[in-house]
Amino acid sequence: MHALDFDYMLGLVPILLGYLPLTLEMAAAGMACALILACLLAVIRVTRIPGLNAFALLFISFFRGTPLLVQLFLFYYGLPQILTFLIAINGITATILGLTLHFSAYMAESIRAAIVGIDRSQTEAALSIGMTRGQLMRRIVLPQATRVATPTLMNYFIDMIKSTSLAFTLGVTEMMGATQKEAAGSFLYFEAFLVVAVIYWVVVEALSWVQKWLENRLNRAYQR
Amino acid sequence: MTLTHLSWATHLSWAPLRRVAVALTFGLAATWGIAPANADTLRVGMSGGYYPFTYVEQDELKGFEVDLMNAIGEITGDDIDFVTASFSGLAGMLDSGRIDTIANQITITPERQQKYLFSDPYVYDGAQVVVRKGNDDIQDVEDLKGKTVAVNLGSNYEQLLRELPYADEIDIKTYDSNIEQDVALGRADAFVMDRVSATQVIKDKPLPLQLAGQPFSRIENAYPFRDDEAGAALRDRINDALEQLRDSGKLSEISEKWFGTDITQP
Repeated sequence: MHALDFDYMLGLVPILLGYLPLTLEMAAAGMACALILACLLAVIRVTRIPGLNAFALLFISFFRGTPLLVQLFLFYYGLPQILTFLIAINGITATILGLTLHFSAYMAESIRAAIVGIDRSQTEAALSIGMTRGQLMRRIVLPQATRVATPTLMNYFIDMIKSTSLAFTLGVTEMMGATQKEAAGSFLYFEAFLVVAVIYWVVVEALSWVQKWLENRLNRAYQR
Repeated sequence: MTLTHLSWATHLSWAPLRRVAVALTFGLAATWGIAPANADTLRVGMSGGYYPFTYVEQDELKGFEVDLMNAIGEITGDDIDFVTASFSGLAGMLDSGRIDTIANQITITPERQQKYLFSDPYVYDGAQVVVRKGNDDIQDVEDLKGKTVAVNLGSNYEQLLRELPYADEIDIKTYDSNIEQDVALGRADAFVMDRVSATQVIKDKPLPLQLAGQPFSRIENAYPFRDDEAGAALRDRINDALEQLRDSGKLSEISEKWFGTDITQP
């Protein structure tokens, strides 16, 4: 048992923080893409568009049913051996793509649940006063579904931030990869991983505040 | 698109929007034909986690492999672009053309020779059993019977252990990284690594470890290349440079700097 090397830990903080923007950027880009894809999938599932619905089911089944690491390896190392043009995708883009496909499958289901959860009577009422399907979605269903889905979607975003740590297996030195290499040089494992754990924690904690603010805002219509 | 991963953190242009577009239209992006890298840029993969061959200190990539590759680049005139990735990802990066070779003490084995072209060996070494300090029960490979032994995933040490006649009596655990730590903690009874870096780890680092007996297998380490025309040309170019470094004494000098001994002679 050796005493904690605080000087080493302090020195590590600015180094690892230098990799934080890349970690956040991959998560943010992945979240933006995943939201779009998840909404599409959810709408297909709710409206049961023939053909597309079967595809959406297969998509969700595959990307929920296999580990993210397996998907990343499959797309980054496996597919380019068959489809050689895919070699043009670099590690950062591949990570964003992997996060997008993986998390959109989960998010589609929680968005679908939020939409289906809106009481049918509201739909009937809206249609009876002459709203079109589009107006119904925009004015009645989506505002309420957004409020319901927000907490789970934020959960997935938090999970996504932490999942970027897999990018080092694709040659992207993000915050976790940087930590592993520093630990390999110093052999001060506890110090190095403690520092990175605290950084992740602080980031996620900050996001929880954003979530609270967002939920309050979406809740305004329900407050007296 | 051809961002160097190492320089990425300092490169703070906020380009996520572009990345969103790229991720969404990756198929299109591929047809634009993004060039891999210039012929005079040598993309060298390494784990960055193999002290003292390749490791990071204060955000700077260092080690024997880094120095040697830079010396080679000076002779051939290539720009060296170091790409760090988990050890288990390196072979995939070489196969898929994302890097041109691996500088990570890759040992020449018959299986690997069927798949890759190898440069001339530049490190001659032996496989070494390492145990927790004070554990004198294990004195050579035979003593590993009934023990838990840690090796790196995809390393040739795993293969070496599996080829032993009593391999089924050894509980071989494969790791992606941090095998030294798991033996120091007592979770595994021993790990197997090359003698040179094992000695160095014990000398320099605060982990309670000791060598167990003599090295048990002779190994030769070299650079692997894809088995195609470009790979063969690159191998020849690097062999020329290695020979020059050997003749000028520079190769031995780099070894002395990192190990205090010359590990580059057969």
